[in-house]
Amino acid sequence: MAPEPAFLPQQAARPDPGKRHDALDLARRLPALALAARQAAASLQSGLHGRRRAGMGENFWQFRPFIAGEAAANVDWRRSARDDRLYVREREWEAAQVLWVWADLSASMNFRSNAALPSKLDRALILALALADSCARAGERTGWLGVTRLISARDIVDRIAVALIAEARRNGERFEDLPPALPLRPREKAVLIGDFLVEPSAFADLVQRLAAQGARGHALMVFDPVEQAFPFAGQTEFFDETGALLRAGRAEDFAAVFSGRLEAHRDSLTQAARAQGWTLSLHGTDRPAAEALLHLRLALTADGAR
Amino acid sequence: MSFFPLAFTAPWVLLALAGAPLLYLLLRVTPPPPQRVAFPPLKLILDQKKPDATPARTPLWLLLLRLVLAVLVVFAMAGPVFAPAGAPSAGKGPLLLLIDDFWTAAPDWSSRVGAVEARLEEAGRLGQPAAVLALSETAAPRLQEVSAALAQARAVAPKAFLPARAPALPKIAQFLNAHPTAHVVWLSDGLTGCDGEVFARELAVLAPEAEVLNDLRAVRALAGADNRAATMEVLLRRSAATGPAEGKIRAFDARGASLGEVGFTFAGLEAAAHFDLPTPLRNEIARLDIAFENSAGATFLLDAGARRRRVGLVSGGAVEQPFLSPLHYLRDALKPFADLREPKAGDPDAIAHLIDEGVDVLILADAQVGGPETREKLDAYLRSGGAILRFAGPRLAAGGDDFLPVRLRGGGRTLGGALSWDRPKPLAPFDETSPFFGLTPPAEATVSRQILAEPEEGLPAKTWARLADGTPLVTAEKRGSGSLILFHVSADANWSNLPLSGLFVDMLRKIVDRAGIVGKLGASGEAAAQSAAYLPPLRMLDGFGALVAPAATVKPLPGAGVVVPDGDHPAGLYGAPDAPRALNAASKETPLAPLDFAATGLKRTELAGPRPLDLRPPLLIAAFVLALADALATLLLGGRWRRRAGPALAGLALAVLFGAGPPPATAETPPSRAETVEKIPQADIDAALTTKLAYIVTGDARADRISREGLTSLSEVLSNRTALVPGAPRGVDPARDDLSFYPLIYWPIAPERPQPGAAVAKRIGAYMKQGGLVLFDTRDAGMQVEGGPRTPAQNWLRRFLADIDLPPLEPAPRDHVVNRTFYILDGFVGRTTGGPTYIEALPPETDAANRPVRAGDGVSPIIVASNDLAAAWAGNAYGEALYPLDPGGPRQREMALRAGVNIVMYTLTGNYKADQVHVHELLERLGH
Repeated sequence: MAPEPAFLPQQAARPDPGKRHDALDLARRLPALALAARQAAASLQSGLHGRRRAGMGENFWQFRPFIAGEAAANVDWRRSARDDRLYVREREWEAAQVLWVWADLSASMNFRSNAALPSKLDRALILALALADSCARAGERTGWLGVTRLISARDIVDRIAVALIAEARRNGERFEDLPPALPLRPREKAVLIGDFLVEPSAFADLVQRLAAQGARGHALMVFDPVEQAFPFAGQTEFFDETGALLRAGRAEDFAAVFSGRLEAHRDSLTQAARAQGWTLSLHGTDRPAAEALLHLRLALTADGAR
Repeated sequence: MSFFPLAFTAPWVLLALAGAPLLYLLLRVTPPPPQRVAFPPLKLILDQKKPDATPARTPLWLLLLRLVLAVLVVFAMAGPVFAPAGAPSAGKGPLLLLIDDFWTAAPDWSSRVGAVEARLEEAGRLGQPAAVLALSETAAPRLQEVSAALAQARAVAPKAFLPARAPALPKIAQFLNAHPTAHVVWLSDGLTGCDGEVFARELAVLAPEAEVLNDLRAVRALAGADNRAATMEVLLRRSAATGPAEGKIRAFDARGASLGEVGFTFAGLEAAAHFDLPTPLRNEIARLDIAFENSAGATFLLDAGARRRRVGLVSGGAVEQPFLSPLHYLRDALKPFADLREPKAGDPDAIAHLIDEGVDVLILADAQVGGPETREKLDAYLRSGGAILRFAGPRLAAGGDDFLPVRLRGGGRTLGGALSWDRPKPLAPFDETSPFFGLTPPAEATVSRQILAEPEEGLPAKTWARLADGTPLVTAEKRGSGSLILFHVSADANWSNLPLSGLFVDMLRKIVDRAGIVGKLGASGEAAAQSAAYLPPLRMLDGFGALVAPAATVKPLPGAGVVVPDGDHPAGLYGAPDAPRALNAASKETPLAPLDFAATGLKRTELAGPRPLDLRPPLLIAAFVLALADALATLLLGGRWRRRAGPALAGLALAVLFGAGPPPATAETPPSRAETVEKIPQADIDAALTTKLAYIVTGDARADRISREGLTSLSEVLSNRTALVPGAPRGVDPARDDLSFYPLIYWPIAPERPQPGAAVAKRIGAYMKQGGLVLFDTRDAGMQVEGGPRTPAQNWLRRFLADIDLPPLEPAPRDHVVNRTFYILDGFVGRTTGGPTYIEALPPETDAANRPVRAGDGVSPIIVASNDLAAAWAGNAYGEALYPLDPGGPRQREMALRAGVNIVMYTLTGNYKADQVHVHELLERLGH
C-alpha cells in the first residue's frame, strides 16, 4: 500500500545538489534561451538584443557625420573616402535581456500524492533553475525575484541555490507563497512558478505591481494529479499545511464542488494575469518537466513578437 | 449429554459470553477510523465543512458481524463436541486397547486406526490415561499419556502370520488387577483363528464390561495356486458368506509387472479362478493377489516349483545333423515351454554337469548311462525328485541298464518293414490312469520300430501309452520322489513318425509339467538334497501383502517342517534369490470361521460407528471468514476500497458475475419500426443537423485529447473566418459509430495501439467511397528520413490501408487545389514543418502552363499528413498554442490553422476553386 498523500518535511525544499543536477540536465537538453525582445531592456550589460540605438555592440548601426572636435580615430576612412565628408561608423547598442524567475517554496508546495511523483516544489524549483541556466547560457541576465540580483554567470544555478539556502536560514525555512511585489523595470520579464493556492485578489495585486512599469511575465501553475482529479472516496479526513481539517463522511460528495471551485480559481487567476498582459499555464507533476520548460520557452519567445 | 448431543470440554469459557453486551457498547462507539489525506487545495472547499461529517456510530450490520465473530470465538474456545447417539463414550477409568494386528485385520486397517484414534482422543478429552496392547506382541501393556498411547497405536501394523492370542491373557489379567476400573476395548478381527474362542471366553471372565469393536466384513484369502497343464487354478476362501461375492485376482511377475487378471465369484465359502495364460507367461507368475484386498492372506507367492522347468538334453550320437538327430525334434518340441540345457560338445561328464545345473527333467535320447559315479548322481537326482526321460534307439536296443522303468527284451521289433507282414501300428487311446489321458492320438501317427518290454508283473500299471495291439510304447516308474520314463521309440523319425506329430509335443509337455509337480510336492529339489540346510529370509510379506525387506527378528526357515507362518517365520520368500521358496500366509488349512461374540457375552460395537465431532475447527474457520469480511468492510467504509483495490476487485466480481451468470437473453422478435427509429443515437442526430468535424478515438489518451483540442480550435477559426460554422467536434469509434454524417475525419496514427479489425477497414473504405475524406496524420515528420526505413506509424498505416481500395497517392503538389481553396499556401505545416503530405494523384497535366491551380474530379478521399496538424491547431481561449511548435512562433501556428481551413474548404467545396481561376478572364470577356 502506497503511503497516504502527505506533506514532506521542510528540509526537502532545499535546492540540494541533486536538484541542481536535475535542473542543469533539463536545461542542457534544450538550446540556450534567448529571450524575445522587441525592445530590449534598458541595460548597460552587453548582450544579444539590439536596442536600435547607437551604442556598444558588434553590429553596424549607422554612419553619422564627423563632429568637429571628435577623436580622429573614430573616422571610418573607407566610407569617408567615397565623398568629401567625414563619417563615423556607429554600432548598435546591444544589451542583454533580463529574466526574473521565482518559484514557490512554501509548505503547500512540499507535497506529492505518490512516491513515484516529484513534489510540486521539486518540480517548480527544477524548472526555475533550468530556466535561469538556459537564459544565462544565452547571455541573458537572470535573477531570483526578491532573493538575488541579476546574474549572467555560467554558474548561475549554484549561485541561486546558495542564495536560496541563505534565505532559508534567514527566514527559518518559511517561504512566502507569493513573491515580493517589487515593481519590475520596463521590458524586463518574469516567470512565476507555484501552485498559487492563494486568494485571486492577492495574485491580481501582485501581478499588477510587478507589471506596473510594463514588465511582461508568465505564471506556471504546478499541481499534483490528485489536486485536479480528486480521487477520494469514503470516510476521509483532509488536512492541509496550515492544519485546517475537513472530515468528509463521503469524500466523493466533495468531488463536484471541488472541481467547480478549482475551475473558478484557475479562471480568476488567468483573468488576473491577462489583465496585465501576462499569461498563465498549467502543469501537472505527472507530466515530464521538459514539457513545462518547453511551454515556458514558448511563452517567453512568443511574448515579444505579439 | 444424553438430552442434547453437544458437550463442552471447557464450559467455563462460556462465561465470557457475558461480556458480549460490553463489547456491543464498545464496538458501537468505536467506528472504523477514516483515512487521513493531506490535501493542499483544501482551502478551496473548506467552507463546505459539515458539522457531522463522520458516522459517530458503527453501522448496525458491521456491529452484528463483529458480535457474531466474538461469540464464535468464545464458543470455539469452550471446546464444543458434537456426540451423536451411539458414539463411543469412554468409561470412568483408564482405557486398555487390545488390537488384533494380524493380516486378517489388514483390509480395513485404516478404519481400525480411525477407531483407535477416536477412542484415544475421547480418553484424552476426559483426561484418562490409556494402554495399548497389540496381541501379536509380547510386551505387557503399560499405562501412559494419551499422546504417547496414540503414537504407540499408530505404530502398530498388521503382521503376516496368525499368532496365538492366549499368551496375552495373563498380561491382561495383571493389568486389570492393577487398574480394576479400566475400560477394555478389543479391536477384533472377528475370527476363531488364533485361539479366538478361548480368548473371547477368558476375556469375558476377566472384564465382563469389555467392548469388542469389529465389523462383519468377510475375510478373503488366497488358499493356493495350482499350475495345471492348461491353466493356473487359484483357490480362494472367505470367512463368511457376506460382502461382495465377486472380485478380481491379479497376477504379477517377479519384477512386479502385471501379467493379467481374472474374475472370481464365491459360491459359498470357496471359489476358484483360472488363469488361461500361455505356459511361458504362467511360469512367470511370481505373485497373485486379490485386487483391493490388501492383506498378506490375499496375496499368494509362487516359488520356483511353479515356474518354468529346466530340461537337460543328452544325446547318445556323437555327430549331430539337423533332421537326423533326435535332439532336433526334442528341442523344437520343448522350446515353447521349457528352458533347455545341453552339455558342451565333447563334455565327458555331461549328465553330472546337467544335474548340477539344476535341471528338472533330464532327457537321455538313446544315451547310455556312464560309469558308477554317474549312476550315483542319477540315483540322488531321482531321489530328490528329478525326472529322467529316455528315448530308445539303436544303442539302447543293443543293451539296457538300471535306469529303465522296465526290463527290455533284446532286439526289438520292426513293423511294416520289408521282411514283415505287419503294417506300422497306430497308437491306442490313452487309459484313464495315464498322464496322457485327454490327448487324442492321431491316426496317422504310426510306429514302425520299437523296443519291447519284458512281460512282467506290474507292466500294465507302468504303461502310459501303448500301441493299437497293446504293446507298451511309453512306460514309467516312480523312483524315490522322482520318476523314470521311457519312450520305446527313438526321438527322431527313423522308428516312427510320432516325433513329427503334434501329439509328441503334447506328451512331452505333460511329462515336463508333471515332473515339476512331482518335484514340488516332495521335499523340493535342491532343498531336499541338502535337507539339513536352513533357508535365509529373502523378502517378507507385511500384513498388507507388500514384499518388504525382512526384519531382524525373522529366523531362517528350516528345509522342512514349517508350513504355517509364525512369529519367527512370517510369510514371505526364503532361500536363494534365484530359487526362493515361498511361505504363504493363508492355506487350505488356515481357520477362517467367524467368532460368535454373543455366546461369550461381550458387547460388540460396529467398527465404523458414529464418531464424536469436534466443532472447534469449523467454528474457528467461520470466525476467520468473518474476520476477513470485517477487514473488507473496514476498507470499504474507510474509502480505501474504491481508491486502491476497488477497481480490480470490482472488475473481478463483474467478471465472475458475467462468467457465471446465464447468457444474456437475445431478442426473439425483430424490433418494431418505432423502436428502430428511437434507436438512432442523439449524437448522430446532432451530427446530421450540424456539420461538424470528427476525429477517430484511437485509445491513446494524449492523442485523443490533442485531436479534440485541435479540432475545437480549428472549428473556432473556421467560424471566425469562413461562412462555415461547425459544431463541436466529435470523437467517433469507426467500429460502431455511423461515419456518414461527417465530411472530414481526422485520424492521428498511434502506432502503439492495436490495429482495428478488418470490419473497421471495410467501413472506412465505404466511407471514402461515399465521398468522405479521411485525414490521416502520422505525426512523425521528425522521425522520417528521406530514403530511410519506414516509421512505426507509417507501417501501422500501411497495414491498415492494405485492405482498402485506394487511388494512387502523390506528395501534394504546390499547385494542388487544396493549397488554393481559401488561403494560398505552399504546403501543410503543423507542429513540425518538414514532413510530406500525400494526396490522391492528379491526372497528368495537359495545359498546366497557363493554369495556376490543378484539380482532379471530385475530392481526394484521403490525405496523409505527417506534421501533427492537430497539435499545432490546438490553442487556448486566448489564441495561444497549447503545444510547443518546431521551430516555433505564432506564425507557424497561423499557417497551420490556414492549412486546416484549406483542408476543410477543400472537403466541402471540392474543385470549385479550380474553376474560380477563370473568373478574371470571364469578367474581362464580359467587359469587352
